[in-house]
Amino acid sequence: MTILFTENDLIRYIYGETSELENSEIENAVLCDSELSEKLDGLKSIYYDLDHLIVSPSERAMNDIFKSSVLL
Amino acid sequence: MNNFGVSDSNLVSHYKSGNEEAFEELVSRHKSRVFTTIYLIVKDKYVAEDLLQDTFIKVVKTIKSGRYNEEGKFLPWILRIAHNLAIDYFRKDKRYPTIVMEDGSKVFNTLEFAEDSIESLQIKSDTNALLKKLVQELPETQKEVLIMRHYMQMSFQDIAEATDVSINTALGRMRYALINLRKKMQNSTIAYDNTFYRK
Repeated sequence: MTILFTENDLIRYIYGETSELENSEIENAVLCDSELSEKLDGLKSIYYDLDHLIVSPSERAMNDIFKSSVLL
Repeated sequence: MNNFGVSDSNLVSHYKSGNEEAFEELVSRHKSRVFTTIYLIVKDKYVAEDLLQDTFIKVVKTIKSGRYNEEGKFLPWILRIAHNLAIDYFRKDKRYPTIVMEDGSKVFNTLEFAEDSIESLQIKSDTNALLKKLVQELPETQKEVLIMRHYMQMSFQDIAEATDVSINTALGRMRYALINLRKKMQNSTIAYDNTFYRK
């Protein structure tokens, strides 16, 4: 029996919100469905890009925070 | 102090006992995720740094007064504080009139551009810079879910409850956000390539 997965299912999958059973069903479905595989690759790609979108505060801001902790 | 492998809750306990190094380790561990969450909401690095400081001051006051009771859940707790402060700022900021120059540009934008110009030139073609801009251009409902799920690590169920929508709506907003970002990233890359590598 073919199980149909939606993009919402793929999003839950990449964010680790699917059960072990769903994980293996999705992984099997991706192997036989190139369209689903392409959708998953697209979502994973933007997921990894977002993961690298990390902004860091300045050294000055950090020092102000450490000083506040000592003073409070 | 060797903090390798020490959990957040242990560091909080050390900090409660007066160990400032434990606090420095907690801040260093989580500063970037907390700062990114704030920055993506308020869109200004100086405001984001002020709000980051306000966030940690709340953390310090809560821990030092003995009111901290979320053992093992330090990061979600601090991210909630940061998110609430950023949203409060964002809402207040929207009510303030914006000063517009004769040429139609906003004073705030002009200052930001002037101060960022060297940095902007350096990272003009950088994927991160483009993505940062695209995230900030997302509709508010999509951006909210994206920040809550990706940077605050809230589950879709928690997001649905926090934003008073169904889990399917939260998932749908996330889907639109990710697909929109993906498409815009691809289009921007194609436009960039066509500009620099004309046939």
